[in-house]
Amino acid sequence: MKLESVRVEQFKQFKKPFLLNGLSGGINVISGPNEAGKSTLVRAIRAAFFERYRSKSAENLRPWGDSSAAPTIELVFHHNGQNWQLNKSFLQRKRCDLSIQGTTYSGEEAEEKLAQLLGYQFPKKGASKEEHWGIPGLLWVEQGSGQNIEQAVVHAGDHLQSALNSLVSEVVSEGGDGLIHTVRQQLGELLTAGGAPRGEYKQLLADELPGQQELDALESRIDQYQNQVDRLAKVAREFHKIDREQPWIKVRQALAEAQERYRHIESLQGQQQTLNQALTSVQQRAALLQRNKQQVQADGKQLQQREQEHNTAQQALNDVQASAAGLHAALEQCQSQYRDALEVERQAGLLETRQRLEHSSARAKTQLQQLSERKSRAAELQQALGESRKLTARHQISKAAVDQLRTTQRQLDDTRLRSQAIATRIEWQLKAGQQIELGQDTLSDQGEQLLLSSTRLRIAGVGEFTITPGGDDLARCQRQLEQLQLALGEQLLTLGVADLAAAEHTLVAQERAQADVHRLLELLQSLVPGGLASLDSDYQALSAELERNCAEKEALAPATTLAKGLPALAQAQDLRSDAENRLSAAEKRFGEHEKALLAASHRYQNADHEWHTLRTSLNSEQRQQEVVQLNSDLIAVEQEQARQQERLQQMLAQIAAARPELVQQDIQRLGASADQLEQAQRGRELELKELRARLEVWGAEGLEEQRGRCLAELEQNRRRCQQLQRRAEALQLLLQLLTEKRQALTQRLQAPLQKHLNHYVTVLFPDAQLEVDSQLLPGRFTRDGETGQMAELSFGAREQMGLISRLAYADLLKEAGKPTLLILDDSLVHSDSVRLDSMKRILFDAAQRHQILLFTCHPDNWQDMGSETINLEALKARAVI
Amino acid sequence: MPRFLHTADWQIGRYFNRFDTDNSSALADARYGAIERLAQLAVEYNCDAVLVAGDVFDAQTVSDRCIRRTFNATSGFKGPWVMLPGNHDAALAESVWTRAQRINAVPNNVHLALQSGVIELPQQKIAVLAAPLTQRHTYEDLTAPFDSLSTPPQWLRVGLAHGSVQGVLAEDIDATNPIAADRSASAALDYLALGDWHGLKEINERTWYSGTPEPERFRNNQPGFALLVTVSEPGALPQVEALETARYHWHQWQEKLVVETDIDELLKRLDELPESSVLDLKLEGSITLAGEQRLADALSRAEARYRSVTYDRSRLLLAPTEEDLAGLQASGYVGDVLEQLQARQSGAETQIARDALAILASLLLEARKEEHP
Repeated sequence: MKLESVRVEQFKQFKKPFLLNGLSGGINVISGPNEAGKSTLVRAIRAAFFERYRSKSAENLRPWGDSSAAPTIELVFHHNGQNWQLNKSFLQRKRCDLSIQGTTYSGEEAEEKLAQLLGYQFPKKGASKEEHWGIPGLLWVEQGSGQNIEQAVVHAGDHLQSALNSLVSEVVSEGGDGLIHTVRQQLGELLTAGGAPRGEYKQLLADELPGQQELDALESRIDQYQNQVDRLAKVAREFHKIDREQPWIKVRQALAEAQERYRHIESLQGQQQTLNQALTSVQQRAALLQRNKQQVQADGKQLQQREQEHNTAQQALNDVQASAAGLHAALEQCQSQYRDALEVERQAGLLETRQRLEHSSARAKTQLQQLSERKSRAAELQQALGESRKLTARHQISKAAVDQLRTTQRQLDDTRLRSQAIATRIEWQLKAGQQIELGQDTLSDQGEQLLLSSTRLRIAGVGEFTITPGGDDLARCQRQLEQLQLALGEQLLTLGVADLAAAEHTLVAQERAQADVHRLLELLQSLVPGGLASLDSDYQALSAELERNCAEKEALAPATTLAKGLPALAQAQDLRSDAENRLSAAEKRFGEHEKALLAASHRYQNADHEWHTLRTSLNSEQRQQEVVQLNSDLIAVEQEQARQQERLQQMLAQIAAARPELVQQDIQRLGASADQLEQAQRGRELELKELRARLEVWGAEGLEEQRGRCLAELEQNRRRCQQLQRRAEALQLLLQLLTEKRQALTQRLQAPLQKHLNHYVTVLFPDAQLEVDSQLLPGRFTRDGETGQMAELSFGAREQMGLISRLAYADLLKEAGKPTLLILDDSLVHSDSVRLDSMKRILFDAAQRHQILLFTCHPDNWQDMGSETINLEALKARAVI
Repeated sequence: MPRFLHTADWQIGRYFNRFDTDNSSALADARYGAIERLAQLAVEYNCDAVLVAGDVFDAQTVSDRCIRRTFNATSGFKGPWVMLPGNHDAALAESVWTRAQRINAVPNNVHLALQSGVIELPQQKIAVLAAPLTQRHTYEDLTAPFDSLSTPPQWLRVGLAHGSVQGVLAEDIDATNPIAADRSASAALDYLALGDWHGLKEINERTWYSGTPEPERFRNNQPGFALLVTVSEPGALPQVEALETARYHWHQWQEKLVVETDIDELLKRLDELPESSVLDLKLEGSITLAGEQRLADALSRAEARYRSVTYDRSRLLLAPTEEDLAGLQASGYVGDVLEQLQARQSGAETQIARDALAILASLLLEARKEEHP
C-alpha cells in the first residue's frame, strides 16, 4: 500500500484546505515545530478510516469555535495495483465516498471495504476505541504509546490471524473464521459471554421453578378437593344412615319413661312429706303432754321441797330464840364490868395527878437549888474572868510585833554572822603583859575579833596597822547590821521590852491570860448558856411554878379517899378499854342476834305460807282429774305416734325401692344423649351443606383441567429447554474444537514472526533475543545470559522494542500480501544517539519494504534518512484549492 | 329390532403433554368431534340408544365449558344416551356428574347411571343393567348384582360395565375392578357393553369392549371404533359391527437405519401416511449427511402435512461419507474438527458430538449454498 496524498479541510487547525502530497513509497520524514499540525494530520488519517462518517462523536474534529464546520478528509492511495480514493466528511455534511479503481461505494459499504482492506472494525455505536483499531492500531503508533505493544497486539489478534492465515504452509480453512464467527454468534444467542443462559433459554430455565410450583400447588389443591369429596361421601353416608335409624327416638322414649317413673317417685315423695308432717304434729302433741306430765311431777317435788323448807325455817327460828337469853346475860355482865373499870380509872387518875404534882414540886425545888448553885458558880467565874482580863490587858503585846521583833533579831543575828564571816578575823595571842590596841580597844592575852571595818591596830613600839576588811559586802553587811540594830531598838522600844526574850515572855503571858479568859468564858457559857440574866429568869419561873403546884395539890382531895391497891392510870385505862371493847362486842352480838331472830321468823312465816298455799292447790279435786286425763292422753298419743312412724317407714322403703337417684341419672343421661344425637345429625347436615358449597366452588375451577394444561406447558418448556441445552452444548463443543484447531494454526505463525523479529533485534543488540509467544506477543528478552520480560526494560528500550516488533508484524503482513502503512508520530524520543543510529538503520531497512510516515519536531535527528524532509510549515503556506 | 351403539372411554378433558400446544389442542378438540360423529352414526343407523361404558371424562374437575361441550356434542342424536361412570369419572359423593347436573348441562335424553341398578328405556324396550363405579378405587366385581336384577319381560337385557375381564386382559388395564368373564351368561344378558380397554376387543359373542372412539395414545390395539349392536329379539345372538369413528390415526414407529435404502423405505412409508396422522418416530442407527439432509427435509414436510410428527433422532448417529465431506468442502482445520466429532460420536458424549457434527455440517452446507446458489 502506498499513500499518495492527504487533503484536509475544516479539520481542527486546518480551517483552510491543506494538502500533503509528494510522499514516497519508503520513509517520509515530516517535520514541523510544535503545534504545526503533525498529530492533527495523523488524527485525520485515523478518522478517515476508523470513525464512521455518521458518527456523533466527531465533534472534536471541528475547528475551534466553528459549530457549522464539516471536517473533510480526502485520501488517495494505491494497493495491489488498484487506485483507492476516499472522500469523507463529518458532522454538518456527512458523506463517505470510496472509489476503487473506478468502482464507487458509499456510506457503510465503503466503510466496510476499508475495514476489510486494512484489517480493523467499526464500533457498534459511539466513538472508535483501541479495541476496534485492529492492524492499523498496531502499525500506526500514536505519540507516546510506542512502548506499549501488548494491547495493540491483542486487539489486532483476530485480524492478524485472518491476515496471516495464508502464510501457513498447510492448507488453511477458508471461511474457518467465518464459521467460528457464526458458531460464536449462534452460541451467543443461547449463552452470555460468561456461559450463563440468556434469552429464551434463560427464560425457560427461569420458568421451570414457578411452573413446577404452580403444578405442585394445583396438585395439592386437587388432593384437597378429593379429600373433601371423600369426606362428603363419608358424611353423607353417615347422615343418611342416621337419618334412617333416627336413634334419638328410642332414646327419647326411654327418657319419657324415665321421666314418668320419676314423676311417680315424686308423688310418693309427696305422700312421704304428708306423712312426715302428720308424724311431726303427733310428736309435738306427745311432747306437749310429756311436758305436762313432767310439770305435774315437778309440782309434787316442789311441795315436798316447800315442806322441808318450812321445817328447816322453823328449826332455825327455835335455835335463834334459844340463844337469846344467854346473850342478854352476857351483855349485862359486860356493862357492869365496864362501869367498874371506869371508876377505877377515875380514881387512878386522881392519884396520879397528885403524885405528879408532888414530883414536879420536888423537881422544881431541886432545880431551884441547882440554879442557885450555878448562879454562885457563875459569879465566881465572872470574877475570875475579870481578873484574867485584867491580866490580859497588862500583858498586852502584839503578837505580830513580837514576830517582827523576832524576825529582826534573827536577821540581825544572821547579818552579824555573815559579817563575821566576811569580816576579817583577827586572833591574837599576846605574850604576857603585852597589849595591843585594836581600834579603840586594848587587847591582851588572847582572843579574837572580827573586824568589820577599817580598824587600826596599834602595836606599841611597832607601829600602826590599818586593817581594812575587804569587800563590798562587808560594808553592806555592816550597814545592814546597823539598820537592823536600829530597827531592833525601835521595836523594843515600841514594845516596851528590853529584849526579845522579854517580849516573848510577855507574849506567852498574854497568851496564857487569853487562854484563861477563853476557858473561863467557855465555862461560863456552858454553865449559863443564856447568860446570867436568863438564869435569873429561869429561877423566877421555876419559883412561880413551885408555888402553883403547891396550890394545886391543896385543891385535890385528900389521899385517903382513894381506894387501896389502885393500879396505875395507864393500866386502869387499859382495863377500862378492854372492858369497853368487851362491852361493844357484847352489844354487837346482841344486835346481831336480834337481826337473826327477825330474819328467821320472817323466813319461817314465808315458808309456812307457801307450803300451805301449794298444798291447798295441789290437793284440789280439779287438779286430780287433770292428772288422770293427762296420763290417758299420753298413752293414746304414743300409740298413734308408733302407727305414724310405721307408715312413714313403709313409704320411705317404697321410695327407696324405686331408686330415685338412678332414675334421675337416667334422665340426665338419656336427655343428654338424645340432644347430642340430634346435635350430631344437625352438625352433619351443616357439614354436608358446607362441603357441597365448597365443592361447588372448587369444582367450578376445573382444577384437573388446569393441572393438565399446566403440566403440558411445563413439559413443553422442559422439552424446549432440553433442546436448547443440547444445542448449546453442541455449539460449545464445536466452538471449542474449532478454536483449538485455529489456535494451533496461529502458533505456526510464531516461527516466521520470530524470524523477522530476530532480524531487527540483532541490529540493535547483537547478542540479544526477543521471543514471541504463542499469542504472537513479544515477551521474553535475553541478553548477555540474563533473561527478563520486555516490559521490564527501560522506557527507551521498550520504545525501541515496540517499534521493532511492529516492523516484524509489518514484514509478516507484507508476506501475506496485506497493506502495511506505518505511521510513527514522534517516536524514539527517549533513545540516545547510539541507539538512535541503530534504529535509523533498522527503519531504513524496513522502509525498503514499507511506506513509513515519520512525524517529528526534531528534523536534525533525521537528516540522514536518505530522503528529503517534508516541511509542514512550508506546505501550509502553500495555497491549496 | 332393537339396535344400539356401544362406545366408551371418551376421556374428555385429557391433555396431551407430549405434543406442543397447537397439536394437543387439535387432538383435544378431535375428541368432541368423535362424540358428534357417534351422534351422526346413531342417526344414520337408526339406533335406539347410545351406551357409553365409562370414562366419559378424563378427570373429575374438568372445566364447566368442557362439560357443556361434551353434552352439547351429543345433541346430534335425540334418542337416549346412557352414560356410565368409570374409574376416571366415578360417581363419588361429589363428581363431575353432580356438577354437570348442578349446572344443568345434562340434556333430558341423557341418562346418567350414577347408581347400580336398572335404567329402563320404555320406548325402546331396553333395560340397561348399570354397574357404575362409585368409589375412587374399586376392587370388587360390580357386575355381580346383575345376576339378581330383574327387568321387564320381553325387554332387552343389556349390561353396561367398566373394568377388566378376569383372566383375559392381564396387563395394562386402567381400572382395578374385575369383571367375571361369564357375566353375560350368569346374568342372562343379551349383551354386555364394556369399557376401559381402549381398543376394540371381543371377549365372547355377547361381551365386547368398544374401545375409545378417538385414539389417544400410541397403542396399536385397534382404537377408534364404535360398535353397532343389533339384537333381533331378546335372547338372540347380537350382531356386532365395528364402525370407524377415528379422526386421527396414531402411529408409533421405531426404525433402525443402517443403509441408504432404509431411509428410502422410511421416507416412502412416511409419504404414504394419511394426513390425519399422529406420528411418533424413534430412530436409531447411523446415517450419512446426505441421508440426514433428506430425512430432515422429509420430516419438516411431514410436520406440516400431518397432524403431528414427533421424533427422536438422538440415537441416530451421523456417519458422513467421503462424498459428504467433499461436498462440505471443509478445508484445513474445519475438516479436522469434522473428523474429531465423528470419532467422538462413539465415545461418552455421543449426543453432543452428534449434534455438533450436525450443526457443523449444516453450517458448511449453508456456506456452500451461499457461494453456489
